[in-house]
Amino acid sequence: MSGQFRPSRRAMLKVGLAGAATVASPAILRLTAEAQTGPIKIGMPVALTGPLGTVGQQTKRGAEFWAKLQNAKGGILGRPIELLIEDTAGNPANCVRKAQEMVERRDCRLITGITLSSEALAVVPKLGEWDSIFISGINGDGRLTADSFVPNFFRANISGPMGTRAVSLYLRKSNMTKFYGLGLDYAWGHNSIGVFEDEVKRGKKEFVGKIFAPTGTKDYSPYITKIRQSGADAVFLVMQGDDNNAFLSQAQQYRLPEKVKLLTEIVDLASIRAVGDASLGLIGSSRYSFTYDQPLNNEFVAAWKKEYGNPPDTFEGEQWQCMKVLEAGIVKAGGVEAAKLRPALEDLEVESVKGKVFMRKCDHQGVQQGFMVEVKKKAGFDTPVPEVISTFPGDQTTPPCNAMTYKD
Amino acid sequence: MSTLALLLTQTVNALSQSALLFFLGVGLTLIFGLMRIVNFAHGALYMLGAFVGYSLTHWTGNYWLALAGAPVVVGLFGAAFELTILRRLYRRDAHAFLMVTFGLALVVGEAVRLTWGPDALQVPAPPALAGVVFMLDEPFPVYRLFLVATGVVVAIAIWQFLERARLGLLIRATSQNADMANALGVDVKLIRSCVFGIGCGLAALGGVLAAPLVTASNGMAGTVIIDAFVIVIIGGMGSFLGSLIGALLIGFVQVFGNYYAPDFSLAFMYLVMLAVLVMRPGGLLGKEA
Repeated sequence: MSGQFRPSRRAMLKVGLAGAATVASPAILRLTAEAQTGPIKIGMPVALTGPLGTVGQQTKRGAEFWAKLQNAKGGILGRPIELLIEDTAGNPANCVRKAQEMVERRDCRLITGITLSSEALAVVPKLGEWDSIFISGINGDGRLTADSFVPNFFRANISGPMGTRAVSLYLRKSNMTKFYGLGLDYAWGHNSIGVFEDEVKRGKKEFVGKIFAPTGTKDYSPYITKIRQSGADAVFLVMQGDDNNAFLSQAQQYRLPEKVKLLTEIVDLASIRAVGDASLGLIGSSRYSFTYDQPLNNEFVAAWKKEYGNPPDTFEGEQWQCMKVLEAGIVKAGGVEAAKLRPALEDLEVESVKGKVFMRKCDHQGVQQGFMVEVKKKAGFDTPVPEVISTFPGDQTTPPCNAMTYKD
Repeated sequence: MSTLALLLTQTVNALSQSALLFFLGVGLTLIFGLMRIVNFAHGALYMLGAFVGYSLTHWTGNYWLALAGAPVVVGLFGAAFELTILRRLYRRDAHAFLMVTFGLALVVGEAVRLTWGPDALQVPAPPALAGVVFMLDEPFPVYRLFLVATGVVVAIAIWQFLERARLGLLIRATSQNADMANALGVDVKLIRSCVFGIGCGLAALGGVLAAPLVTASNGMAGTVIIDAFVIVIIGGMGSFLGSLIGALLIGFVQVFGNYYAPDFSLAFMYLVMLAVLVMRPGGLLGKEA
């Protein structure tokens, strides 16, 4: 019998695998360590171009300012912040593709800054598969926290229904009785006009008609004619970006505000600057304004002015609030993994530029107070500014859990 | 509002929108007719016109100077681009022009964003045109009447220029047969630079005239370029009269479509284009028809 050692094929395989594992382990350890200690990557598939490019540019600036200040303090949990920003041009298919690339190729598990609700609605079904958290900074469509709600989605901003609700609560006290709706012809516009119609009817007032304009509409005169013909006391606008500017400019040229009061779901500072006096008298809910007299807002506005030379715009403030909520969540979770971050964000309360924001667990909507503003001229400002004319507590403006309509 | 008042105001309005579309379409078609270049940067130059108009209005405090100056500035820019870049590509196939003009659109878009910022800017109508007139008791902005008048004046001016001016004659000759014109001593290179500059200037004129209606914004380029191509395709590539008819057709379809069937107004525009292409594949007055 030979004393020669003859290892079996199975033994050789085991040794080989063990060897390979030993050689590869530093790389595996390094990757794992990097995921836990490397930069915190935050993906932003944003509409930087197209009709809503001005809105996307604002969310980008809001996030960039936050990241700059945060990195100057050493990042979060000792890890630097890295923003991955890509232009979607406002196209939902582009948005999904860009977000997917961020997740799969760049190992990014946090998404924010998506511009259009239609883009957000296209992304949320993928969040589970991607094991990623998406925290909305500006998306208004009520369905995101209702019919289309998924556990990995959070909304730190005021939703469309919440803005609309603030307007309708305000209108209950007014003597206007007949209302018309003009919205942009995509998810957010239809959703908010639907909620407004429901609120008007619930308030025992008359809703006389609605119309939707495609994004990028250049001539609003047919729409202005329809509004004028409707006999409404006021028209409720669900518009933003270039479309909002075009409508307000042309409405003034047609003298529409002399006959019909203009109400809006969002009073946007960039639009006010773009159309000047054509925005005077506009009444609406405000997602954010530099004029809010809150201690943290005053601090934020001062820092922003120092950096950029002018006060922050609507969606810059909204996205900033979103980043502060995300920051608090990451600190509480001790990491960015969805399994840790999701429970950390649930029922989290953050003191913000708009007061308290409470991320309720049931549908991940940030409960916060609602603001009604009127655009007025003010000494010391070149263009009109929004002035707060009424505020409503968050429990009045936020819909019931996983719903878009209100019971009272 | 009576039906008559509605029809009257919307008809005049459709004419005003057609005028804006015509400035875009005619520049695009002139460039294609002479140079066989599909200028993808046309929308970006329209936007550049609006922003240059904004700056000229603010520097001079006079909209009329901006209206005259912006097309000249953008036209000179276009001519310089032809002189320095496009001229090197004439021996290449059409793909080279597509790539280069598309690149120009991206560069102009980014340059506008870096120069004027990402936000939309207000270009108010001059005080003389800021009022309204009453048509059958319905208010109608004077500025839109001014757009109609400008459209008529510019259309007649271009027509007369092409028909009667010596440069117009040389443009037509070069458009029909550049080699023959060259052999007869026409400076074809200079003609090409002039036409590209004029086409870009007309786009800028459209931009500066549209700015009081829609503000000067970074999104302007994307929303008009498709309309411009539809007009040129309907009218026939290279046809001046075709671009006028195309602009009128699209202007009326958009305005009345938005009023009577807003959900389908975008589709109507493409249906008109489809119908024209089925009946006359080269466009209404196109050379291939």
